[in-house]
Amino acid sequence: MFEQLVGKLPVGIGIVDENFNVVYLNDFFLDRLPHNMRDCYKETPVVELFQGQGKFLKRRLKSVFVLQHPSFSYWEQRPHIFPFKSSRPITGEETQMYQNMEILPIKDKKTGQKLACIFLQDVTAQASYFRAQQKLSEALKKEHEAQRKLIRKLDTAQSQLIQAEKMASTGQLAAGIAHEINNPIGFVNANLNTLGQYASHLIAICDGVQGQLELFTDELKEQVDALFESNHYDLLKDDITELIAESTDGLTRVKDIVENLKNFSLETTEGVQIVDICAVCHQLITLISAQYSAPQYKFECKHEKVEVMGNPGPLKQALMNVMINAAQAIEDKGFIKLTVIDSPQLVTIKILDSGCGIPTKHLKRVFEPFFTTKPEGQGQGLGLSVAYTAIEQHQGKISISSKEAKGTVVEITIPKQPIAAASTDEGSEKNEAENPQTA
Amino acid sequence: MSIVLPLDEEQRDALQELLNISMGQAANSLAQLIETKIDISIPKISAVTPTQLYSLLFETEDAFYTRQSFLGDVHGEVMSVLSQAGLSEVATLMDYDEPLSKEDIQEIILELCNILAGACLAGLSEQLELTTNLNMPTLFLPDKANFDELQWQHSLVMEVQFVIAISSFSMRVVFCLDDESLARMKNTLDELLA
Repeated sequence: MFEQLVGKLPVGIGIVDENFNVVYLNDFFLDRLPHNMRDCYKETPVVELFQGQGKFLKRRLKSVFVLQHPSFSYWEQRPHIFPFKSSRPITGEETQMYQNMEILPIKDKKTGQKLACIFLQDVTAQASYFRAQQKLSEALKKEHEAQRKLIRKLDTAQSQLIQAEKMASTGQLAAGIAHEINNPIGFVNANLNTLGQYASHLIAICDGVQGQLELFTDELKEQVDALFESNHYDLLKDDITELIAESTDGLTRVKDIVENLKNFSLETTEGVQIVDICAVCHQLITLISAQYSAPQYKFECKHEKVEVMGNPGPLKQALMNVMINAAQAIEDKGFIKLTVIDSPQLVTIKILDSGCGIPTKHLKRVFEPFFTTKPEGQGQGLGLSVAYTAIEQHQGKISISSKEAKGTVVEITIPKQPIAAASTDEGSEKNEAENPQTA
Repeated sequence: MSIVLPLDEEQRDALQELLNISMGQAANSLAQLIETKIDISIPKISAVTPTQLYSLLFETEDAFYTRQSFLGDVHGEVMSVLSQAGLSEVATLMDYDEPLSKEDIQEIILELCNILAGACLAGLSEQLELTTNLNMPTLFLPDKANFDELQWQHSLVMEVQFVIAISSFSMRVVFCLDDESLARMKNTLDELLA
């Protein structure tokens, strides 16, 4: 009964003696032997009967006989020890059987002969399932990675959008404020002028009185002197003109700044038009020197006017961002020099500063959005990337070179006439506009 | 943190001696198979927490890890740490052809663990007159977080190191027993000592 049971078991059971000759095989093995071998398999070396992994099988058998200790083998490392076909030769995906093997040392109870028992398990189903799962998980991993990349891109795009939105609304706000400030500044300015005149009149009166002092009676003279003295007339007289002159200067600066602010914010929606680079540079210097007074600002251009076709808003924004960086690079002493070079097709703008410079390792990344070395909350790392985008829109180029502790040069080159895209767009618009008339 | 070893000194000495013998047998078996000399360290016996077990075993750099459970009169697990260095020399001794594929390396690791752990366990069980059956070894990639969450508090570990003389290869085998098995082993040790 037991022999029948062992014979029919759904695992391979084979017994081998110390010379690796086969003693017994159950049906699992026999079914897979060639027909002519089925009756005469006994006493044949196992490696002859099942060719393929002979060396491995021998090694494992030897280990079992020497150590008297079981040995294991898995399909993952060695899938096909016995050259058997898959148990589903017609419908299965795998053509060869995946096997797990275990070899146990046993002893013949009667003779005491040392034997080895080979258990062979068909794990093709598990293996092919496992492999399918693995493929699936790899595919999933790839997809996941792709999605993560997309999400990252989306994130960047979104923050840039938010930034652009912020800039636009800041611009509007600035324009509004500029407009509001303009009114009070108007009357303050007018009043200050009048005040200046009044002051000079008053001084004239007082000086007149002082001149006529000798004609007064002694008592009156003393009283007037005391009055002048108690009100510190001498100091007042010197100071009042100075104060008024200073205030007028300050007010002029405020007016300039407001004017520039208005220019900047209002022009963002304008389209392509003629832009005078020299004028822009002057405007920028006024605007930036108000905020950053440490550096000396220089401007150099051989012409009065250098005109290009472009979008004034983004162009100014680009130049301003570069200049702000230059200004921030200078802590207490230094200069910023703007040079505009006019050539037949191109305009080159060089912004040179004698500031702290940019370390080489950062130089490659300065145009990356959100790259910043400033402390958190003080810079968004967008200045140069916005500048880059703006210059690219104008089919121009922006490059940067820097030496630490020496300074930085940013060179911007833009064509005077935008090429291709812009001009053909205009052309087609014209055509469209003309078509209805002809039709 | 000091932990009272659940074994008294006499029991411990006895177990250490038994381990020494069985480890020696294991080393002999392996030496016989790969025809080279093998040195073993003096076995260490200690009680550890899961976190200690983790640092005992898995904070070795450049190593392979395996685990293998055993059932029978005593239950537990054998964990092995194998050095990556010198493995190719051992592979040559074990009759593998160069170059080794990833699968070859895995197979060698598993086989080495199986031989050593099996021999140790067989020797120990024989001397304590216990029956044990070792299951298949598997590769193991432990995660410290998982170790910290393990249910047991302390475990008895027996640790021994094998060094193959001609190469830089070394291997540590650590036996861990569960509480029930520990009690049974203590009884058996007491019977032997009596």
